[in-house]
Amino acid sequence: MSVHLRSLRIQAGDRALVSQVSLRILPGKITVLVGASGSGKTLSARSLLGLVRGIEPGIVQADLEIQDGEKTHRPYDARDREAAFAPIRGPLLGWLPQNPRAALDPLRAVGLQISDCLKLAGRQSDPGPWLKRVNLASGVGALLPHQLSGGMAQRIGIALALARGSRFLIVDEPTTGLDPSLRAGILQELRAARDAGVGLLLITHDLRLVRKLGDHLLVMDRGCIVEDRSAQDLGAMKSPQAQALWQATARLEGR
Amino acid sequence: MSAWRPWAGSALLLFPLLIWVVSLGAGYDVIGDVDVSRASVGPSAAHWLGCDHLGRDVLWRLVTASESFVGPSLLACAVALAIGVPAGALSGWLGGRAASLTRFALTTIASLPRFVLVLLVCAAFGNSVQLIALAAGVAYAPTLAEAIYARIQSFRHRGFVLAGQAHGLRSGRILWLHLLWVNHRRLILRHCIQLFAYFLLLETTLSYIGGLDGAGSFGVAQPDPSWGNMIAFEWREPEANLWASLAPGLATALVLLGATWTGRSLVEEQA
Repeated sequence: MSVHLRSLRIQAGDRALVSQVSLRILPGKITVLVGASGSGKTLSARSLLGLVRGIEPGIVQADLEIQDGEKTHRPYDARDREAAFAPIRGPLLGWLPQNPRAALDPLRAVGLQISDCLKLAGRQSDPGPWLKRVNLASGVGALLPHQLSGGMAQRIGIALALARGSRFLIVDEPTTGLDPSLRAGILQELRAARDAGVGLLLITHDLRLVRKLGDHLLVMDRGCIVEDRSAQDLGAMKSPQAQALWQATARLEGR
Repeated sequence: MSAWRPWAGSALLLFPLLIWVVSLGAGYDVIGDVDVSRASVGPSAAHWLGCDHLGRDVLWRLVTASESFVGPSLLACAVALAIGVPAGALSGWLGGRAASLTRFALTTIASLPRFVLVLLVCAAFGNSVQLIALAAGVAYAPTLAEAIYARIQSFRHRGFVLAGQAHGLRSGRILWLHLLWVNHRRLILRHCIQLFAYFLLLETTLSYIGGLDGAGSFGVAQPDPSWGNMIAFEWREPEANLWASLAPGLATALVLLGATWTGRSLVEEQA
């Protein structure tokens, strides 16, 4: 079981938005992808799901290999890429997008949306336990997305991702704009998912998260990976961009 | 907007449907009801709205006239939905050349004035209210398709559509369930109400202009009742029963008002 992306290149006109990006997600491990805004983190993550607008060979080139037991999926080598991604989206790879409220159907009760996910996963469609798991009352299931606070929407997003039961989960900036106690709750859920054997790709601006729960660290800058190392000794990072990020984090923590 | 308008509007819209059911059940005899002895009598307990100048009961004709527009306007809605919804939804979802061609074809139909299109169809294929309904449905389909196209195209790349795809929802389910049914059923319903109102006005107009004698006429012709030909039949009569021409006019106005109120409330709640 692994997701292995090699030499990803995403082209817009004659400009490469992302080039030479390689990354790996392993079960029970958290790979953290860090970088400034606009460095291509989200785009790279979306290419794992084949959800880059204009999936044609002229725009996205990649060598993506997803191993699932005996089977190996190589969706970017297929002639019909859209069809090749169909068995991957959901059961193998899940996605918790950056703005969880925008990722919810605006006019459908959130409980029903959780049920939709559960049905897709072939599970019993009662959303109650999943709401409880992310510390929401069961009455929340009847609300529409615009009636939720930011933190509630974020937790619904996590409930959806967990309900889908993907083997690997791409989590895009899950703690942005949350207060510390909610942040801790979300991190707790991510840890629990990791301990249950889910492989996570965590995208963030925040290097502090890397120390708390990262296994492997990737730093992106202007569409390229500039640092690729284990998440242990963060002080010894080589590239200037990674060092700048690290120093900014240290200042933030007052050290 | 006041809170009572959507309710009043819906009630006014349900009224023609109600009398349509009554009329289908009652089977009023449109030809045999002539009785010159009660010509142009005013309202009474036996004839609540009085009689017209041939002595026919105005209320019964008013009720029976619903048959000349309710069924056909539902047919017009079905035609417009069958053409407009798939055309708009698929071209908004798929984009590309096929979408441009579809929209070109529909815009070509939309460029003809609807009333003229309907008259052309009548002139070419003969006058029948079902045919008028068919033509009205086809003529309205581009409006519906274009409205749906604009919405689907703007929703196409929203976060929740991508998230649904990432969860493994099939495109068809996202399009028909989430985009059309969950998010745009009000829009579609509003267009149906608008078409219903448009058809009522169209049928009333045609029957008013051309519904007085059987041959070579437009719309629904006497002796079959229509709110349009009831007005035309009575309003020039000396010493007529006022209600015989006023009641169908009022009924038309009220149903159109109901359509406006209901339709507007659907727009505002959506925003």
